[in-house]
Amino acid sequence: MSLVSLVKISQNADKPLQEAIAQSLGLINYSFGSGIRRIVIKPNLCYYWDCTTGQTTDPRFVSALIDLLRAEICPELYISIVESDASAMRLKYAYRMLGYEKLAEEKGVRLVNLSESEASNVEVSCNGGSYSFMVPDVISGADLRINVAHIKYTVDPVKLTCALKNVFGCNPAPKKFRYHSDLGNVIVALNKAMKFNLCLIDNSIAAGVQPRRMGLVMAGQDPVAVDAVAAKIAGLNPDRIPYLAVAEAEGVGTRGYVARGAELEYFRALYPKITNRMKTKAQLKRALRGVGLGKRLGLE
Amino acid sequence: MKQLQSVKLGLIGVGGIGRLHLKHALMLNNAEVVAVADTNKNALAQAKELGVKNTYSDYSELLKNPYVDAVLIAVPTHLHLQVARDAAEAKKHVLLEKPIAVTVEEAKEVIAAAQRNSVKLMMGYPMRFNRGFLKLKEDLVNGLLGEVENAHATYICAGPFVHRADGHSPAPVPDWWFNTKLTGGGVLMDLGCHMINLLRMLFGEVTDVRGQFGHRYRMDFEDSAICLMRFTSGTLAAVNVGWYSQDYMLRVDMLGTVSSVSVTHVPPPTLPAMYQMLTSGVSSFSKPFFDELKYFADCLRNDIAPSPTGLDGLRDVEAIIQAYKNTIEI
Repeated sequence: MSLVSLVKISQNADKPLQEAIAQSLGLINYSFGSGIRRIVIKPNLCYYWDCTTGQTTDPRFVSALIDLLRAEICPELYISIVESDASAMRLKYAYRMLGYEKLAEEKGVRLVNLSESEASNVEVSCNGGSYSFMVPDVISGADLRINVAHIKYTVDPVKLTCALKNVFGCNPAPKKFRYHSDLGNVIVALNKAMKFNLCLIDNSIAAGVQPRRMGLVMAGQDPVAVDAVAAKIAGLNPDRIPYLAVAEAEGVGTRGYVARGAELEYFRALYPKITNRMKTKAQLKRALRGVGLGKRLGLE
Repeated sequence: MKQLQSVKLGLIGVGGIGRLHLKHALMLNNAEVVAVADTNKNALAQAKELGVKNTYSDYSELLKNPYVDAVLIAVPTHLHLQVARDAAEAKKHVLLEKPIAVTVEEAKEVIAAAQRNSVKLMMGYPMRFNRGFLKLKEDLVNGLLGEVENAHATYICAGPFVHRADGHSPAPVPDWWFNTKLTGGGVLMDLGCHMINLLRMLFGEVTDVRGQFGHRYRMDFEDSAICLMRFTSGTLAAVNVGWYSQDYMLRVDMLGTVSSVSVTHVPPPTLPAMYQMLTSGVSSFSKPFFDELKYFADCLRNDIAPSPTGLDGLRDVEAIIQAYKNTIEI
């Protein structure tokens, strides 16, 4: 059983985000330890959607995390924010458009495009297959790797984007779409190739089927447990998300968790979930596309 | 000028809007698509699959095709002058996507090339073919609104940042969109020209303009703009455009001395859209684009000068450049 904390951001606090992050770490008994100098923070940036959509990590969350790290560890830290190009996203634009260039300037941290950085080849096995990835040196050489993810829905059969899926963005290969046919196994394999020490979930705004202010910060050291809690919040059954079972079988973590802090049900009620009507509509569209009517009906 | 029975069209540029033009042009009963040019091989392969016989990776080869009467030009804005001028010199009539060019000078050259070669030049402004806006114009002319004191023209969407696909694979926003030398500006140039053109259709020429620009995405170009414009009719209009939303809203409000009216152009809900596609092959959202092409082909068949003209395109760009110069600081 892994500890996962849930904290409601208090708007009355002096530094709401920093205090919520600190509280979430306290609830899982996390301490930074000594000898940490090089830190990697991996936010969830996808496409050019700003954080108000609930699709990307709020730079203010990362900013608060940087302040906390400097206060808790030491002011002289070498912090890198990392992300990579994606099939539809050019990071040089995303960093600027989503507020990360401004953040880097203000906080004196480095922005890294993993698609353009030094990397070494790593072979990993997963679920009976073998996978080969380039692991960026900035990640493998870091003393502390922090995965700052977001709870979102994504394509079947993966269904959920949270801590495990966020590591997919550490794969330097820009054309990530080509991995989609085997997405679940690739996500798990990447998590074996690149292990993060800490998962923090910024769900100030939830994505769901539409954005909603949620005010949730989560923390955990086990990405599988964090994702299991995230799945429950999103109204999904973690046992019906196949890649979570694969991740557990591959030793990435465990789906068993002990939740601490605020009530999970409170956030579950807030999360904008997929309704049965939406499911039926999506199934109908899939069926129509399946019988070759997609183009004729304007669905493609 | 000879009259054409069925217009033979060539399409130059099969990106986002070009693909839409191709789909509609293939449905026209007064024209046929005989050639397509694009630098993207996938786009050409898709055009072949749709039945286009001649595909070219170099548009100048398309212009040499003697069977092509007219071209639809849907290339990045900085290439408008070069491609439109080459097309005119090859004696092909031109339907040119908006905005006409990146500068006033280039816009004038586009018009001059068409005049010099006696070819027809029409600007791609599909909202001029939206039935709601046409009815608005009719009501205005007939005095149903009285005198329109104020108008608000709003066009907010994701603009170039809408999720793109190349076949089944997601595709990045082309780099040229991030370079103002190649676009001529930001959202005001891209979406604002639609609204300014529409307002000019309703209220006459722009006599004064002031602009306020937003940079939510911290880029060199504006991603939102609010312009105050005075027209020869006396109407004061606010043009409000933005690239910041995942929603899509295109709306014109007219506040007249007799009555007030709002017209929107937004995608229909899924089921009505599917029904429209099934019954006519075109959704109400796409209909103005289809009607625009049909009208262009009809103009060529009947040897009529099409509208909106190159001069309309020039006037729109002039107003936009003026707005960039006359910034309101708030």
